[in-house]
Amino acid sequence: MENEIIFTILALVAIVSSIVMISAHRPIDSALSFIVTLVSIAALFALVNATFLFVVQIIIYAGAILSLILFIIMFLNIKDANLPDEKHKNKWLMGTSLIVAPFSYILIDLIMRSDIAVNGIAAENFGTIKDVGLTLFSKWILPFELVSILLLVALVGSVTLSKKED
Amino acid sequence: MLKAYMVLSIILFSIGVVGLVSRRNIIVMYMSVELLLNAVNLSLIAISADLADSSAQVISLVIIAIAASEAALFMSLFVVLFRNRASLDANLFDMLGSKK
Repeated sequence: MENEIIFTILALVAIVSSIVMISAHRPIDSALSFIVTLVSIAALFALVNATFLFVVQIIIYAGAILSLILFIIMFLNIKDANLPDEKHKNKWLMGTSLIVAPFSYILIDLIMRSDIAVNGIAAENFGTIKDVGLTLFSKWILPFELVSILLLVALVGSVTLSKKED
Repeated sequence: MLKAYMVLSIILFSIGVVGLVSRRNIIVMYMSVELLLNAVNLSLIAISADLADSSAQVISLVIIAIAASEAALFMSLFVVLFRNRASLDANLFDMLGSKK
């Protein structure tokens, strides 16, 4: 019962702050409200005992990626003249949500009708670093190596892209 | 509980799609892409908790790593585009085929 109340509060916070994120005019406002979304999603991870993913979400998303975005927004020194003048922003948002709403309604209806609650019995150490790490380094060792190569390529690519050519 | 998580994930995904399609500010578009990835992560975590299997948690770890590399590339793209056009309007960024 407690879990349902906490889930409802966190879900409302996540939905409201993501709506603020897509509708704010200045990018700094949307970045700050996106941090709220990410932290509440991390708390939702913790609610289902995924403790390692909770820590990773806080450190990597809310810590590293969002502070990178905030740094870039502050470095670029964005004035109002640099922003696109989205005069019909609200009309666009309403129209697109009218188009997207039927699809999400169909998906939600499908989820509510289906019989998917399996509820396996979780082990004592489920979701800890040991459990996730053992799975990562036994079954998923090839994707792990590929991801490390991908990170290297992305870092080298971003350095070459942002280099000043003269 | 699993159904509630899936429904929340669908709602967040739809909000991300709406933001990605209807905004023209590239920073907001990038954050909408991150919201899409987060919605997928949320449903993966709920499924892994429900099946008591930690493979889905490893998949969402991989997704988080992909999001981190995507963030690095997007940030350098922002810097290059802002240097060339002094704007964040996605409609102005059409210099891929031109010689400047």
